[in-house]
Amino acid sequence: MLELRNVEVVYSDVILVLRGVSLQVPDGRIVALLGPNGAGKTTTLRAISGLLDVHNGEVTKGEILLDGTPIHTLAPQKVVTLGLSQVLEGRRILGELTVEENLRLGAHTARKELEENLARVYDLFPVLEERARSTAGYLSGGQQQMLAIGRALMSNPRYLLLDEPSLGLAPIMVQQIRDIIVEINRQGTGVLLVEQNAHMALSIADHGYVMETGKVVMDKPAAELAQDEDVREFYLGLHGDEVASFANVKHYRRKKRWLS
Amino acid sequence: MDWGKIVRQGLIGGVALSFIVAVGLFEAFANRMVIDPILTSGWVLVLWVPVVFGYRATRQVVPDGATVRAARPADIAAGAVTGAIAGAVLGLLVVITSAKPDVRDTLLALSPSLVQRLSFGHSVGYGFGVLTLGGAILGAIGGGIDLVPQVVRRVVSTVVVTILGFAFGELVVGDILRSLGLRSVDQFFYAQSRGLKPLGAVILAVVFVALRFLLKGKFKAIRERIPLGTGETEENRATRRNWFLVLGIIALAAGAWAPNLFGLYLNEVLSNVGLFILLGLGLNIVVGFAGLLDLGYVAFFAVGAYTMAIFTSPASPAFDAPPQWAFFQALPLVLIAAALAGLFIGTPVIRMRGDYLAIVTLGFGEIIRIAFLSDWLKPLFGGAQGVLQAGFFPGEQRGGIIVQWGLVLATIGIITLIVGLLRLNATRLITAGKMSDIRAYSQPVTIGLLVAGAALTIFGLVSPGFAVWKIYGIEPPSMFRITLVFVALAAFVSWRLRDSRVGRAWMAIREDEQIAQQMGINIVTTKLLAFVMGAMLASLGGALFAVKLGSIYPHSFEIMQSIIILVVVIVGGMGSIKGVMIGALVLIGVLGGPTQPGLLREFGEYKLLVYGVLLIWMMLKRPEGLWPEARRAKELHQEEMLQDAWLNVEPASEGVSG
Ligand SMILES: Nc1ncnc2c1ncn2[C@@H]1O[C@H](COP(=O)(O)OP(=O)(O)OP(=O)(O)O)[C@@H](O)[C@H]1O
Ligand SMILES: [Mg+2]
Repeated sequence: MLELRNVEVVYSDVILVLRGVSLQVPDGRIVALLGPNGAGKTTTLRAISGLLDVHNGEVTKGEILLDGTPIHTLAPQKVVTLGLSQVLEGRRILGELTVEENLRLGAHTARKELEENLARVYDLFPVLEERARSTAGYLSGGQQQMLAIGRALMSNPRYLLLDEPSLGLAPIMVQQIRDIIVEINRQGTGVLLVEQNAHMALSIADHGYVMETGKVVMDKPAAELAQDEDVREFYLGLHGDEVASFANVKHYRRKKRWLS
Repeated sequence: MDWGKIVRQGLIGGVALSFIVAVGLFEAFANRMVIDPILTSGWVLVLWVPVVFGYRATRQVVPDGATVRAARPADIAAGAVTGAIAGAVLGLLVVITSAKPDVRDTLLALSPSLVQRLSFGHSVGYGFGVLTLGGAILGAIGGGIDLVPQVVRRVVSTVVVTILGFAFGELVVGDILRSLGLRSVDQFFYAQSRGLKPLGAVILAVVFVALRFLLKGKFKAIRERIPLGTGETEENRATRRNWFLVLGIIALAAGAWAPNLFGLYLNEVLSNVGLFILLGLGLNIVVGFAGLLDLGYVAFFAVGAYTMAIFTSPASPAFDAPPQWAFFQALPLVLIAAALAGLFIGTPVIRMRGDYLAIVTLGFGEIIRIAFLSDWLKPLFGGAQGVLQAGFFPGEQRGGIIVQWGLVLATIGIITLIVGLLRLNATRLITAGKMSDIRAYSQPVTIGLLVAGAALTIFGLVSPGFAVWKIYGIEPPSMFRITLVFVALAAFVSWRLRDSRVGRAWMAIREDEQIAQQMGINIVTTKLLAFVMGAMLASLGGALFAVKLGSIYPHSFEIMQSIIILVVVIVGGMGSIKGVMIGALVLIGVLGGPTQPGLLREFGEYKLLVYGVLLIWMMLKRPEGLWPEARRAKELHQEEMLQDAWLNVEPASEGVSG
């Protein structure tokens, strides 16, 4: 199980962005992490994968545990070898390299299983096999997202951390990505899915968290979350007759957890 | 007629002409003949200007899709006016110079002899007239180029290229002719280091024009018969790679033997080219592959040279009883020293990026040089006196290494064998996978490589020329051969590294450090590895440099060296192994290195000027380099790439070279 306990993150020594975030991703489950822009979702993923360092950020309090062992002090390359793989926001494929080279790069830490994993990725994304030798920069946005996910899978992760995979994709493509996430999960990989598209995320997740300004403000099974009035209103865009303003519905229950 | 454009181009042309003359380039080349008494290369440097600007003044920029305006007779007039303006500006310079001799205080090149030359032995007024008229004629030619039938243009361009090529290549052609025992042929065509004889020039021009028209289309036919393929299928690409391999091996084997044909000067030039290829390949790993801009690269070159020098020299300041090792005995130590230096410099700076890294490495490069120069380290490295007699051996007058072509062939043979074995492995992978169609032809090539490798190795080993350890004495051909061996090794290492796991990791770091980290790449060690690999290749160059010169001084390792190496890499094409070779051939071979002369010796101190002009021109017109790696070209032409992607066009350039 991947677990965050009361994690606090500070950027540049002064900007407090996460204020005690706690969440759990059980083995082989899909967990959705929702929240408005700037809530700290990406920061949460960075904290897990060890990429805070690049952004001059730091976990100042709390801990991140993988099966009970703390991992928030490890270097990113170590975290990858422990089985956590993040797909960064905005895809970030290496446009000059070929599709296959991108994938091979993903296998940097899992050299032995390279051929198996490559076969698996090509199985999941047949279009990548067709375009294996062409330049990754020429792929369409959706294909690039597939490549980014495929590349993350090349390290044989136990947990896949996805940062807004539906960003900028047409509905049909979102559908396809969604099905692939389900399939990856079915094959035994746990998924932490950060999304703006709550509809998509909640339709496949087992559990969901909602973040706002650096805190988890809601924590429910996905099905319940999808029924929640506030979530329906702000994230699913389904509201009743009165158009609620943000101010007068801000009455989330805040859960008291561990230390905070 | 677009008068604004004509005047503008004319003035720019005039400034260009005046510049070439005023800095002294014209005079510097005045004594190098192209065609013996008729044409000096100084005039060649000047004559092209009105033609080009005449052409530019009449050319219009045509937006995509618009119809091109047909060339018309008025273009000739426009070109003539442009050329006349350019010529008149130069004429004015001559007039001013003769009227006010004190301009010489600032511009030394504006000497009375120059005025004399540019006024053709008459009054300056006469000179002004002739220059203006000449400019007009040349400009008219430039402006009217599109009006002339294509056949004529072909003939003229062939004549120009042939004559210039043979005139400037006199050193090469003459050397080869003489060593083939064809001295009389040499004397027939050349006026002994004074350019072509007029009759020789005419004969060559006629022969080459004839050849051009007789052979027209023949090459294409031959090329088509070779199954090179033009489409971008996997198969074609593999075939091309195979041809490349085979040609490369043949070229290397020929290169091992070739120095016998060359005279001293050409051997010297070629080993300088080799030296800079070696250095360029090393820097290419750091800058081209890993994207770390290292401006202090010369430090590793210095470390290699000094290590080689203090262990081989009988006058080594570092030891009371100098070890006086042989070149190959000291070589492992050189590599170790360079690797340590790489770690030493790399560790503190590796976390910096981009400009910061460049500045800090620049500093470190200077620190190393000043350390070698310092009194503090004088007991080790001899301070400003440096280390003398590097590569001298007891009882021998001039020490070093003789490398016979036997050794070179054996080395090339071994590399070929390794390549063959690597391919064998690749073929096995393919058998297991799905690309079984490649097997059909890649196997014969693999077998061919293995057989050729074995043959070259055995032949090299048994040939009387295989003498490594104990033959002393250094002569240019052997210098060239050992450089060739090192270059082959460096190219092989670069090539294998590029396509390896480490190579991909470097490229990932170059493109997106965060992604690289996310992929589980250890940024620090991977970058350090690039530094160390680059340092080791540079130290090989340093070792060669030490035994070649025999004496090593700190001032041989100034910043200029780093910069020239970087320019070689940039001009050739960053990240491209072939590019580095082309870059070194063009820059070091033709123009010359920072202290080494090239084929055009006359450039002398103007070399840096030409480097600068070339660099600016490259950045504007061909930022990806002369022979880029396909990837780098893409990156720099992203804009077009995006448009292509948008229009759904498969780019033609994709994967042309690996
Ligand atoms: N390197 C940084 N230095 C300082 N502040 C940062 C840094 N990175 C992010 N932040 C701040 O942290 C807050 C959370 O950012 P984060 O990227 O985690 O949000 P997010 O939930 O992923 O938002 P979005 O949905 O827009 O991607 C923002 O206010 C942002 O400005
Ligand atoms: Mg985000």
